[in-house]
Amino acid sequence: MSGLVGHIRGDSNPRWEVELAEETLLTDDFLRQLINVGEVDILIGLSTHNNAKTIEPVIRAVQSGILKCFPRDRAVIINADGGSQDGTPELVIGASIDDVRSLSKVYALRTLHSISTQYARSPDLGTALRTILAAADLLRAKACVVVSPDSTTIQPDQLQLLVRPVYNDNFDLVLPIYRRQKFEGVLMRNLLYPMTRAIYGYRVLEPYASEFAISGRLATDFLTSESWNNDWGRIGPEICLTIAAITGKYRVCQSYLGTKAQPHRSATDLVAAMRRTAGALFSSMDSSFPLWSTITGSQPVPILGSPTELALEPVRVNRKRLLEMFAAGVSQLEPVFESILSASTLSELQKIAKLEVGEFDYPADVWARTVFEFAASYHKSVISRDHIVQALVPLYRGRTLTFLLENRDRSEEDIEKSVESLCDEFERLKPYLLEGWADRK
Amino acid sequence: MPLKREQGWYKDAIIYQIHVRSFYDSNGDGIGDFNGLAQKLDYVQELGANAIWLMPFFPSPLRDDGYDIAGYKSVHPNYGTLEDFKTFLSSAHDRGIRVIIEMVANHTSDEHPWFRESRSSQDNPKRDWYVWSDTDTKYAGTRIIFVDTEKSNWAWDPISKSYYWHRFFSHQPDLNYDNPAVREEMWNVMKFWLDLGIDGFRLDAVPYLIEREGTSCENLPETHEVIRELRKKIDEQFPGAMLLAEANQWPADLRPYFGNGDEFHMAFHFPLMPRMFMGLRLEDRKPITEILQQTPEIPAACQWCLFLRNHDELTLEMVTDVERDYMYDIYAKDKTMRLNLGIRRRLAPLLDNDRRRIELMNGMLMSLPGTPIIYYGDEIGMGDNIYLGDRNGVRTPMQWSGGWNGGFSAADPESLYSPPILNPVYGCQAVNVLSQKRTAHSLLSWMKHIIGIRRSSSVFGSGSIEFLYPANHRVLAYVRQLAKETVLVVNNLSSAAQAVELDLRRYKGNILIEMFGRNIFPRIGDLPYLLTMGPYQFYWFRLRRI
Repeated sequence: MSGLVGHIRGDSNPRWEVELAEETLLTDDFLRQLINVGEVDILIGLSTHNNAKTIEPVIRAVQSGILKCFPRDRAVIINADGGSQDGTPELVIGASIDDVRSLSKVYALRTLHSISTQYARSPDLGTALRTILAAADLLRAKACVVVSPDSTTIQPDQLQLLVRPVYNDNFDLVLPIYRRQKFEGVLMRNLLYPMTRAIYGYRVLEPYASEFAISGRLATDFLTSESWNNDWGRIGPEICLTIAAITGKYRVCQSYLGTKAQPHRSATDLVAAMRRTAGALFSSMDSSFPLWSTITGSQPVPILGSPTELALEPVRVNRKRLLEMFAAGVSQLEPVFESILSASTLSELQKIAKLEVGEFDYPADVWARTVFEFAASYHKSVISRDHIVQALVPLYRGRTLTFLLENRDRSEEDIEKSVESLCDEFERLKPYLLEGWADRK
Repeated sequence: MPLKREQGWYKDAIIYQIHVRSFYDSNGDGIGDFNGLAQKLDYVQELGANAIWLMPFFPSPLRDDGYDIAGYKSVHPNYGTLEDFKTFLSSAHDRGIRVIIEMVANHTSDEHPWFRESRSSQDNPKRDWYVWSDTDTKYAGTRIIFVDTEKSNWAWDPISKSYYWHRFFSHQPDLNYDNPAVREEMWNVMKFWLDLGIDGFRLDAVPYLIEREGTSCENLPETHEVIRELRKKIDEQFPGAMLLAEANQWPADLRPYFGNGDEFHMAFHFPLMPRMFMGLRLEDRKPITEILQQTPEIPAACQWCLFLRNHDELTLEMVTDVERDYMYDIYAKDKTMRLNLGIRRRLAPLLDNDRRRIELMNGMLMSLPGTPIIYYGDEIGMGDNIYLGDRNGVRTPMQWSGGWNGGFSAADPESLYSPPILNPVYGCQAVNVLSQKRTAHSLLSWMKHIIGIRRSSSVFGSGSIEFLYPANHRVLAYVRQLAKETVLVVNNLSSAAQAVELDLRRYKGNILIEMFGRNIFPRIGDLPYLLTMGPYQFYWFRLRRI
């Protein structure tokens, strides 16, 4: 088939090229399973890789959600696995709906299929999502919900909160809003949300979501998107999807999903997370410059539902260690920063790096300028793009420390105000980004 | 001449359900009668049915379409005389058609002489033939069946100034089966008809014969005692006569009515019927396989009775709330179509007059384990009239031709017992026997064909069933087997074409012979057997090792 794709690439109809490429995405065995499933109303997609420890409760919650909230709808659970060695796919397939029925005392009118496909021997989030979307497209799903396989706090009702807006209100993308412990979601609140908001002009609180719902229309359209053709589309497809939705004038909303516990992450996870999120975000700005460069300010995105009470224990953070990592980064990566940052910003960072924990402050305006200078440098590829994204990690740690210190004694509401204030700073400084973007240096 | 009552005849029967009143009017008074029915027996024979189940034809005030009996040993004058009945019975037997009649044993009409006597005074000898009480609080745990019309199972009798028990309409007092005299008299009634030569009884409302405080007054052990007593007498005096239970219960609760082969010969499988409609609309075999998995084994001589529609509403008592809501939304959006816990519609309108769906449902009816019952008129796709009260909308005159009163009666249309269906889709000019007999591809012709195939093999009536569970849930597949005969049935419940792979390795080496066209399909090998099926298509394959 790949030979055929190569042959047809010269064809003047690019749509054919993508469609044929999709065919190669799905193995014959997976296709056979899809034939058995047939047309569905709801497709629940999971992208797994060695999630055996957490996958069973997630599947049970999904099954309960379907039985409880959508007993009449045709539904399928599709697991795209990136080469698990711990039996994750077997757990997905083997999760019996009968267990859920007896536990939840709910009744299923229909057959609920759970199928699994291995799309690669190593995890690749882009291919996983693309596999799920291709299945949604082939099965003509009205709504496609992606659920995180390590979501230990997932509740059956969350499925409804994600799907109903697609069903009832014709939204194309439903993004989550979580109730988090106040020192979690720092990357989202300090970088992804403010940056996405300033660039694209929409107040999407969780632009990089591991759980979301999309309409069949958006699934089909995004499947043919150009995002898949670049590295960042493959590494950070979720943020690409969000950006595609808000820039493509699809109907986007946000839905309160309740509490979200952050899985334990190691220091190396942060680099990967930065690649998936900030890297993908910076990358998206290249092609969409004509669109975002004219946007000023931001507009709210509809929020559905109501927030729940927080039920999570606060996390402990080693502030001293954060400071050390920030200071070491500023010092060791100085030659790299000289390529990326303006002299004034670098000078300010060096001053900040000398501060003790008690007086440490990485102010919002400096942080916004830092991020914008990284974005512009990324655009101009002043050095390897991957190195640019990696270099942002120690600086982000410094901003994290400030976030923790500032908000140590603040209430949830006050923290939200502080995040909004940071966003305003990003929006205010957007002309600075445009300047840097246009600068030939 | 009476047919010999062979043991187990009912297993291979195709039962055709008829209301005398609705079938054919021979004397032009607007009401069907036994002479008319006798004239139409050739039609029943041509259809392929070999048994007729007659709805009540006894003297009655007809406040519940004859299920309110006012005299058990004669014929309602509207339908003719006892002699007319005997003539009809003889004619049916001459054609090899057996006759099953109703035994409404649980209750009588309040106009029955027994009840008149019973209510006349508290000292009357027949007082204990019914269930009386000074209060209306006894048996408080008993559900009300006709929820749309009745508020209580007790009704006040102003004559004897006490309450009487009724599980159905208040004009249908329940007989007291704790009274041996009642049991004896009811046996005398059955014996009367068996002596005339009838082949079996459908016992109406069986679970409710006995009442006990602190129970649901349904399915009580004492009720089973009454049935065993009747069955014993039948086996001793009329071997081969059949008892069919009308007990709208879950399979597990129904199982005891077969006893150890010493209670009923047959029982309606009520929970299966709505699930067939549900499975069709959901395009998912789950409701059907699930209820059949829950259906217990029954004694070898016993049999389930299967039906798609009958004279009552499509009952939704034996479904969950979720299922009932779904059925109402799908099949009875117009609330006029609903009655009690059910849907009062005929087969064709329920299925949107979609020929493919009608055929598929009949295909399943004929191939699932049990004896099928065809409700009169459904074999030609008759419609209903939901604007007639109660269940009368599905009891309209049989449509024989496109002429006067649909060929049912020579009477003035205004004098018919019920207005015929007149609309352009289901009216007699569009749907009638005469025109369908002349067309090889009509529903009637197709029904004759499938009944013929069903009757060509005992595997459908007596064979075992094993479900296959192909990964495609829209396909319902099972293997029927009896001795050396094996039949594979594959049903596509979907409105779209489907591909299905069947694991038939245990039948490796067999070829498949499609039973309708007798075409040969490829030999079964080691690989999954791939079938592609059109929308609502079904196959019956005979497996042969050649």
